[in-house]
Amino acid sequence: MEIYGTYGKYLPEIKDEIMHKIDELNHEIDGQGGRKLYEHLIGRVKCEDSMIEKCQRKGLALTPKSALGNCKDAIGIRVVCNFIDDIYKLVDLLKAQEWCRVIKEKDYVSKSKPNGYRSYHLIIKVSTPYPDIYEKKPGEYYAEIQLRTIAMDSWASLEHELKYKHNIKNPEQIGNELKRCADQLASCDVQMQTIRQVIHEYD
Amino acid sequence: MRILLAEDEKELSRVLIAAMQSTGYEVVPVYNGLEAVKKAEAEVYDAMLFDVMMPVMTGIEAVQKIRAAGNQTYIIMLTAMAEVDDKVTGLDAGADDYITKPFSLKELLARLRSLERRNENYTEDTLDFGDITLITTEQRLESYNSISLSAEETKLLNILILNSEKKLDNKTLIEHTWGKNEKIDSEMLWIYISYLRQKLQSVNAHVGICGNKGGPYQLINNSKEDPK
Repeated sequence: MEIYGTYGKYLPEIKDEIMHKIDELNHEIDGQGGRKLYEHLIGRVKCEDSMIEKCQRKGLALTPKSALGNCKDAIGIRVVCNFIDDIYKLVDLLKAQEWCRVIKEKDYVSKSKPNGYRSYHLIIKVSTPYPDIYEKKPGEYYAEIQLRTIAMDSWASLEHELKYKHNIKNPEQIGNELKRCADQLASCDVQMQTIRQVIHEYD
Repeated sequence: MRILLAEDEKELSRVLIAAMQSTGYEVVPVYNGLEAVKKAEAEVYDAMLFDVMMPVMTGIEAVQKIRAAGNQTYIIMLTAMAEVDDKVTGLDAGADDYITKPFSLKELLARLRSLERRNENYTEDTLDFGDITLITTEQRLESYNSISLSAEETKLLNILILNSEKKLDNKTLIEHTWGKNEKIDSEMLWIYISYLRQKLQSVNAHVGICGNKGGPYQLINNSKEDPK
């Protein structure tokens, strides 16, 4: 089963191109004497199996149109930042770029999910030299960008582990502890942010 | 502890001040009910001791006025032995306890120690102000999001909420948050005020702290509708 059809081969290319663009942004800011905007950047193309599972879960036909049109996260980029402010700075910068268009955003940083999850999610649309599912060329592709701090990133990996463990005796308690931990990490993120601002007051 | 003493008999007042100061309490004396109300409005106290019969304004009226303003400070009335009605009206007016005259200093000091224990061990679990909730036992601040607070931030926000009708100076805030022995100055307090400001913002609260570096500071509610 090849849910991405003939378009599958373009996805890694597009992913790399987006990462390259974001990397350039970072260097631009760095070059201007600013501090780098993020700590690291990772990207992935959602594997066929996960995409099939997602389409089935959403009741979508197993076609490239579902996988690349209805679902918008076949290409996923994660930007891990040092400070909360950097997330918002990057979001503003991305919105101002000509090579992409932000079509949807969700701020789970200022309003976390009930389990404590924090991240800023963007869905962007990029123009590519490749044909798309509507047979347009140059074609347009979607990608999801997740922006978070290092603390939010570590928390999300821990929560991810919990999600796939089904033999836990007290999932509710562990869930509460995770939530508490998310609030404490948020506290540290805000504290670091504040100290940074206080330091810069003396500039 | 910081104590407001309203007693019009100068001699008794002097004895009480000496006794309480020797135990390490800070005592602010006034000599009638009206002065007591004014002091209570302007400054923060851990306890108030009011005589009932005083010129200008009685202790009972003073208690009523202070409570009506939303002040929750612990108040002990000093009443004459025979006057049962004074005890009742005093308590009904909003006082927390009474001591009948003539009383022994030993008893008064024991009551203050008991109050100190209560303040330290049994503070309120949750406090609401505007659209925020402070869960002191869990050191957590909640609004449209939640975040943990340090012990100091919790104490600081606690006193700001309980005295939101006043502007609080550096000395008051530092003493209530860190106690007397700590080497905390206004610079350090400013950093903690900044932490709290950022945390209030990060939970999307419509509550802020007004005041510039150096104080005084006051908690303000920016929500459109008044929750009260």
